[in-house]
Amino acid sequence: MNALLQHLGISLRLHLRNKMALLYGYLFPLIFLVAFAVLYRHERIPLLRHMGELLTVAVLGGACFGLPTTLVSERERGVWRRYRLTPIPTWAVVASTAIARYLIVLSAGLLQLGLALAIGMTFPEHPFDLFVAFTFVAFAFIGLGLVIAALADNVPAVQALGQCIFLPMLIIGGVAVQLAALPLWAQHVSAFFPGRYAVEALQATMSGSGLGGARFSLLALALSGIAGCVAGAKLFRWDAQQRFSARGGKAWLVPVLGAWLAVGLLAEWRGRIAIPVDREVAPVARAKVEVPPATITAEPVAPPPVESPAAMVGASASTDTVTPPPAGPVAVMTPPAVTPVEPVVPERPLTPPPPDPLWMHITQKEIDALDYNLPPDHGIVSPIAGRDEEAEDYMRDQVESVRSKLPFWPPGTDGDDLRCVRNLLYVAAVPDAIQLPVERYLPRVVFEYLIDTYPREKLTKILTWIAMTPEQGMVIDDLSDLGVEGTAGDPMVVRERAYLYAIKFVARLTGRVEE
Amino acid sequence: MSAKVLVRDLQKRYAGVDAVRGVSFAIEPGEIFGLLGPNGAGKTTTVECLIGLREADSGQLEVCGLDARRHPQEVKQRIGVALQSTSLQDQITPREALKMFGAFYRQRTDPETLLKRFSLIEKADARFDTLSGGQRQRLALALAFVNQPELVMLDEPTTGLDPQSRRELHDDIVQMKQDGCTVLLTTHYLEEAERLCDRIAIINHGRIVAAGTPRELMAQRRGAQSVRLVTGRPLDLARLAKLPAVQDVAGKDNEAVFHTTAAAEMLGALTQWLGTEKNEIIDLQVRAASLEDVFIELTRDPEKR
Repeated sequence: MNALLQHLGISLRLHLRNKMALLYGYLFPLIFLVAFAVLYRHERIPLLRHMGELLTVAVLGGACFGLPTTLVSERERGVWRRYRLTPIPTWAVVASTAIARYLIVLSAGLLQLGLALAIGMTFPEHPFDLFVAFTFVAFAFIGLGLVIAALADNVPAVQALGQCIFLPMLIIGGVAVQLAALPLWAQHVSAFFPGRYAVEALQATMSGSGLGGARFSLLALALSGIAGCVAGAKLFRWDAQQRFSARGGKAWLVPVLGAWLAVGLLAEWRGRIAIPVDREVAPVARAKVEVPPATITAEPVAPPPVESPAAMVGASASTDTVTPPPAGPVAVMTPPAVTPVEPVVPERPLTPPPPDPLWMHITQKEIDALDYNLPPDHGIVSPIAGRDEEAEDYMRDQVESVRSKLPFWPPGTDGDDLRCVRNLLYVAAVPDAIQLPVERYLPRVVFEYLIDTYPREKLTKILTWIAMTPEQGMVIDDLSDLGVEGTAGDPMVVRERAYLYAIKFVARLTGRVEE
Repeated sequence: MSAKVLVRDLQKRYAGVDAVRGVSFAIEPGEIFGLLGPNGAGKTTTVECLIGLREADSGQLEVCGLDARRHPQEVKQRIGVALQSTSLQDQITPREALKMFGAFYRQRTDPETLLKRFSLIEKADARFDTLSGGQRQRLALALAFVNQPELVMLDEPTTGLDPQSRRELHDDIVQMKQDGCTVLLTTHYLEEAERLCDRIAIINHGRIVAAGTPRELMAQRRGAQSVRLVTGRPLDLARLAKLPAVQDVAGKDNEAVFHTTAAAEMLGALTQWLGTEKNEIIDLQVRAASLEDVFIELTRDPEKR
C-alpha cells in the first residue's frame, strides 16, 4: 500500500513538472472550451449545453493520449524494467498510474467547469451525479488508454493509435459534433463508441434530469471500462521487446472490442440510436398533411395573443434555464413550471373569438429595444445569403423546391398569423441548427416569402413579438414535408436560431441592415 | 555458510536458440564474483534468470538460500540490481527516486545515507535529466542498495563511463565487499575483473568454459608468455614457428606475435637465427599472459584458431 501511495505521489508530482503533459492535460481542454465558447457564443447560457462534450474531450485527451504517452515513454526508456527488478507487483504500478491519471483528468475537468462558470454558465443541475458520471467516463477511457499503451511500441505509435480513436469519436462519435448534425448511419456508428455515452451521461447531469435518465450510458461506460482495464492489465508489457505471441497474444483485445460491440448491439436492440428528442418538440410533423390542421398545428390552438399554459406544454424542462428577454410582457414571462402533460387540444367551439392579438400593440420603442448585436450573416450561426447570392448548383434544386412548397406548407399557412410566422422561422432555424449546406439560402427564401405574404408593418410587429417571447409555442423540428431532412433534436437551439432570425428580419425590415 | 548464489545446470532457449546450455557456478558469501564472456555468450540471460526478469527452462537456481524459480518475489526483496543503463523519468530527483524505490521493499535504507555514500548529496534534488553519466550510474548503484541487500548484481556497471567515473565506481564496489555484501559483476573490461573479482567464470556459447581466481585462470596458460617481435626486414613466419618453444605464431611482414613456454631457450634460438639472417630486432617484448590472453584464448571462435 505504501508502495502504491509513493508511486502515486511521484506520478502526480512528475506530471506537474512535465510541461508537455501539462500542455496536453490542461491547455488542450481549455482550447476546446474557448473554441466552443466562441462557436456557440450566441447561446443564452454559455457552454451549458456543451459541458458534456467538453468534459469528454478533457477525459479523452488525458486518458487516450496522456496516460499511454506517459506509460510508453517510461517503458521505452527502461523505467518499467527497473520497477520490475523490485518486488512491487504489476497491478500496483498499473493501479497507481491509473489513479494518478484519474486525479489528473478530474483536475482538468474542474478547471474547465470553473472557467465555464466564470464566463457565465449556470451551476450544474446535479453536481453529485456529475461527479459520478465523470468517474464512469474517466474509468471507461482510462481502460482504453491502458489498451493503447499495451499495443503501442513507442510514443509515435501512441499518437497514431490515439488519433485513430480520438478523431472518429470526436467527429462521428457524438463528442465534438452534435449527433443531430450527423446522418443516421453515423448515429448508428456512434452507438458503438463510448464517446457518445460519455457525452450523454455528463450532459444529463449538467442540464438534464440527472443520472436517472442516463442509466444505459453508465452501463455502457462501465462495460467499456472493465473490458479495457482487464485487457490492459493482461496485455501489459514491461518492455516493448516483449512480444505478444509469447503470452496468449492479442486475444485479449477481443473483450475490449466485444464490449464496444455488445454496447452498440444493445443500443440497437433497445432502439437507442436516434438522438433523444426533447418532449418540447411538437409531435412529428409527418401526419400534418393528412389530418385537419386544427388538431395538429404546431402551436396548439389557444386564445391568442396570450399563449395559454397549454401552449407551454413540456417547456418546463428547459424554461428554467432560459432567461426571457427583458422587454417581454410579464404575463408570458413566467411560464408555469409544471410537469409535462399531454398537449391539451382545446376544442374549437370553446375558443372565444380572438381579441386583438398582443403583437398588434408592439410599439416602436419595443422594436428599437431589441438586441441588434447579432452574429454575422456569413458566419455559422444564423447565416443569411445576400440578396443576389446564388446557391451552388448542387443545392439549387433543394432551395427552389422549398421556395415552391412554402406557400402550401400547412404549418406556415394554417392558423393565426403569429403561429404561421413563428413556424416559418423554423424553416430557417432548423437547417442552421443542424448546419445543412443550404443553411444560408433557406433563410433568404423564408424572408422573401414573409415579405411577399405580410404587410411590412404587421410583419415587423409579429417578428418583434416573437423575438420578445422566443420560448413560446411549439418547435417544429421536422421539415421533411419541405424536402429538408434531419432534426436538430434540441428545441432550445431551434428556438434560439428562430429568435436570431426574427431579429435579423426585423433589422432588414426597419432598415437597420441595408440590403 | 552455504553459497549466496547456486546455479546448477541452468538451461534457457528462446526463438529456437540455446542461449544458456547447462551453466553451473556458485558464489560464496562476501566475495566479488565476475561473470565474463563476449556479447551473446549467455551472461546476461543467466543474470536475468537469477533476478527474475526471465524464467529458466530448467536447472536449479538458488539465491540467498531461496529457490529463485519458485519465489522470485522473495528473492527480489533480498537482492539489489544495477543494470548497465538505468533510466528514470526525466523529472525525478535522486532523493525522490530513492524514497520511492525504498517504499517497494520491506527493509529499506534512509535515502540520506545512500546519497552520502554514493556522493549524490549535491545532486540530491536535481532532475534526472541533468545528471551526468557517472552520476546516473552512481544513482543506479544507490538504488540497488535501497533494500539493504545481501547480494547485489551489477550488470556491466562501468560501460560507457569515463576513466575517472569508472575508478570511482571501482572504489564503490570494493567498499560493498568491505561492508559484507556479496557481489555478482558482469563486465567485458578484463582489467576491471582482474582488479576487482575474487573469482571469475568465463562463459561462451552458453557454457562456462573456465572458472577460478584470476591468478588460477592465468596459470591455465601453463606459464605461457606473450612475445611481440618487430624486425628490420620481413620475417619468415613458417621458419619462426619451427624455432624451439615457439607457439601460436601470428602476424605479417616485419611483425609477429606468439607464445612461448620457455622464454630463455626461445630467445637464444631467436637471436641466433636473426643474426644469421642479418635481420635487425627493432622491438621485442616478452610478458606474462594476462587475463585478456586467457579470455581471448578461451572464447576465440574455433574456426579462426
